[in-house]
Amino acid sequence: MDFHKMSASDLSRKIASGDIKARDVVESSLKRINEMEGKLNALITRIDEMALEKADRIDGAIASGGDVGCLAGVPVVIKDNMCMNGVRTTCASRILGDWKPPFTATAVDELEKEGAIVIGKSNMDEFAMGSSTEHSAFGPCSNPWDTERVPGGSSGGSASSVAAGYAPLALGSDTGGSIRQPASFCGTYGLKPTYGLVSRWGLVAFASSLDQIGPFSRSIEDLALILNVISAPDGKDSTCNPRKRPDYTSSLTTASLRGRKIGMVREFMDYDINPGIRSAVEKSFEIAKSEGAEIVEISLPLMVRYGLATYYILAPAEASSNLARYDGVRYGISCKAGDVMDLYLHTRGKGFGQEVKRRILTGTYVLSSGYYDAYYLTAQKVRRMMTAEFEDAFSKVDTIFMPTAPTPAFRKGELLDDPIQMYMADVFTLPVNLAGLPGLSMNTGYDDSGLPLGMQIVGPKWGETDILSIASVLEKSFGRPRVAEGGCC
Amino acid sequence: MAISEEEVRKVALLARLEINEAEVQSMAHHFDSIMEHFNRLKELDLENVDPFVVEDSGAPLREDEVAEWGHREDVLSQAPDRHGDFFRVPRIVGEEGQ
Repeated sequence: MDFHKMSASDLSRKIASGDIKARDVVESSLKRINEMEGKLNALITRIDEMALEKADRIDGAIASGGDVGCLAGVPVVIKDNMCMNGVRTTCASRILGDWKPPFTATAVDELEKEGAIVIGKSNMDEFAMGSSTEHSAFGPCSNPWDTERVPGGSSGGSASSVAAGYAPLALGSDTGGSIRQPASFCGTYGLKPTYGLVSRWGLVAFASSLDQIGPFSRSIEDLALILNVISAPDGKDSTCNPRKRPDYTSSLTTASLRGRKIGMVREFMDYDINPGIRSAVEKSFEIAKSEGAEIVEISLPLMVRYGLATYYILAPAEASSNLARYDGVRYGISCKAGDVMDLYLHTRGKGFGQEVKRRILTGTYVLSSGYYDAYYLTAQKVRRMMTAEFEDAFSKVDTIFMPTAPTPAFRKGELLDDPIQMYMADVFTLPVNLAGLPGLSMNTGYDDSGLPLGMQIVGPKWGETDILSIASVLEKSFGRPRVAEGGCC
Repeated sequence: MAISEEEVRKVALLARLEINEAEVQSMAHHFDSIMEHFNRLKELDLENVDPFVVEDSGAPLREDEVAEWGHREDVLSQAPDRHGDFFRVPRIVGEEGQ
């Protein structure tokens, strides 16, 4: 049986019923990793032994008739900015050294309580800052559809792992597109939930008003299943909303687009978008229309013109504050120095990579005396206006279809020396974080050279149920994403 | 508005970040390109926009209760320079008792 091509839902059903063993599934994942990892570099830390021991415990519990949870025996990959008790957590940075957190992130803990088996911590752009997973102290990750190309970022390792069949599910984090853009590049599904839906306790902070944990999968049912698990309210994260969560899987089987209003953003018609991506979005509208949805033209002028500037003021500002904690005193690397100022300067200068330094300096600048009003405060105001613009749009439509990224996966090195062009890869995803909204990137198929194409479904706050049910209708037409074999296009 | 290399050095010191000359130049160049985007925001009329209103934050207040957390040693054991139950850092207060 090709376990690596199976969905989490199928695996958990077969494991729970005793048809297949969790150990065999985990061994199959590890074999897949052994075959592909030399080409992909999707994982920073492997935990094979821990995973196999957990699989044996689950097989034992099933044999003795115990309750093993809805993800029993399902392999998952976790982005390496989420803490796991006793497992090295690096954020793809040198600065954390071999730090092993003495606690587990709530989202990871919830997965483990439901029987999921973490098999590795995935590669990423350092501290989640980047769109290509090239800014990693552990070397770049590759796109499994074309290993000459990037998997996107910053959760590139998680996207690559799911696309290559290491696991049917992975967790990433999304501050400006870091789940959705790599999902689009690697041909998977990726969901950035509403700000406040998933606990961020144990997620290493980048920009706290924007960060959100979310899942990758190769089936919409799996995405709903894992969202049920990770979205548990959590008193340890004060931004985690205590509202009651629905069962995200329940609306999938009866999903229909009849009578739904889907927004088409006028400004994107004029935007320079790759023809394959444009046709992916157009095809999505055609399917929606043929399924009975009404397409409504809307306008989001602020998002397109000012989203990038607003984000690249606010996110670095928050990052410069959050990353002040890496001072060489309590954990991670520490450079010997005669005084404390030199300890800070040397440790941080040596520990952080180029892109992180760039963001810290930008953030420090926009918050510094004399510039705060001109940049930070101005950007906060534009963020308010952009949120209002989305709210107005969602008074007219149920969801919006738009591109996830302007292009399919680009080549390694192509944008590395041009940070602003790299930032443009997130032009359609950044505003969704600024407004705290949920967005799902779904694979719609492949272009002529075999590269995955993706589009994005954006909804109002707490609109995950609608987004997932609409995606499940589209999934029937587009077909589920395929597993990649790690070749070249 | 261009940002001088001197300003980049000043900001790097504020951020407690050692950067070399190549990084200073590259950063000054980066600031030039990103400012072009930042300055677009000046096109907007923002006079009556309140930047800090948060609707539906949903974050409830709770009592600030002290709870025991039994992993003190796990934290201290990862200190780069430990002295008993303390993190040790280079001298902060001046030698001459300033």
